[in-house]
Amino acid sequence: MYELFFQKLIEKVNFSDEELNIIKTYLTPKKLRKKQYLLQEGDVCKFIAFVEKGVLRAYTIGEKGAEHIIQFALEGWLISDLYSFLMSEPATYNIDALEDSELVLISKPAHEDLLKKVPKYETYIRLQLTGAYFAMQKRLTSILSLSLEERYINLTNIYPDIIQRVPQHMIASYMGLTPETLSRVRKKITGK
Amino acid sequence: MQTKQTIAIIGATGNMGSAISKSLAKGNYRLLLKANDKEELQALVQEINNSNSSADVEGIECPRDAGWEADIIIAAVPYEAEKEVAEKIREVANQKIVISIANPLNETYNGLTTDPGMSAAEELQKLLPNSKVVKAFNTTFAAHFATPVIDGQRADAFIAGNDANAVETVSELVSTAGFNPIVAGDLAVSRTLENMQLLLIQLGMKYHYNWLAGWKILHN
Repeated sequence: MYELFFQKLIEKVNFSDEELNIIKTYLTPKKLRKKQYLLQEGDVCKFIAFVEKGVLRAYTIGEKGAEHIIQFALEGWLISDLYSFLMSEPATYNIDALEDSELVLISKPAHEDLLKKVPKYETYIRLQLTGAYFAMQKRLTSILSLSLEERYINLTNIYPDIIQRVPQHMIASYMGLTPETLSRVRKKITGK
Repeated sequence: MQTKQTIAIIGATGNMGSAISKSLAKGNYRLLLKANDKEELQALVQEINNSNSSADVEGIECPRDAGWEADIIIAAVPYEAEKEVAEKIREVANQKIVISIANPLNETYNGLTTDPGMSAAEELQKLLPNSKVVKAFNTTFAAHFATPVIDGQRADAFIAGNDANAVETVSELVSTAGFNPIVAGDLAVSRTLENMQLLLIQLGMKYHYNWLAGWKILHN
């Protein structure tokens, strides 16, 4: 239930067995079926979700009902509407499962207790947040300065499984492209 | 809340289990019903789907899987069965709301089998130390769910628990079921609530309420 979660935890921070046992008491194990929502916009985001198995996505819905995918989360990744979670404000993201998934959830009260009880947990969160910030920085830079082909190649480097597990129209949405444009980009890459 | 919560009802085909299942199917919940008798379970799922086309309800065999998918778990089982249910769901019920509905009556209905100063709910909390056990639906008879308004009055349904958020969530469930939720206090108040129902059951037998009776607090 928590194997990958603890593996990732220990990779980042050197927790003692006692600390790991304390953390375990605060985790919510959750199974989500394909297409089920973890979060709908307007609700306050109650959890940070770690993907033990499966694929989740976070997306917003535009005026004409178009979905704009903000983030995917494959095994080992965290996903949340962080602003909503930390500020207890209504979420702007929807989060649902693209496959039947197993998650490890940390609720807001659990998160706040862990920050008090296990100081190294705060280190773990700091490392996660800075990692996420770096990823966001890279992504912003690539959107602004790289060609579409370069961006697509970067994407397949960061998420190697993504082509198999996510429909192409969703990859296009994530990149901010129409499916047709993405098709052209992919043809251009394979054509070389 | 917009996001549909998943509720696992263990013991779904029992009197209380089926009453709870049918009434919660009206709300914005996804129900996973678990019962030992497969045929009875199928029949219940069918009945709910027939009477409510927007119901999101499914029979599920394994209580652990049901608990794993669930956000809220209702142990709609007698007191004697709570321990076994707790064993099966303990891992997957971590940090989740678990509702105890049991009234630990003895065989002759003239007393409770729990020690004085203890309650079925608190015993369940000990078995599930990392879950948020909430006492609810123990002061409402099964027949009451079909008619929550008796004599023009909507019955009160008492709730007790240590976690404020959990208690609030359960209050919404109780409302959906058609009752007037009253938060009675922390989990220790379950002792009173379980004794209250012992009294109501005894009165019902004495004065022939036919299992259709409830509580209503008169106040300013």
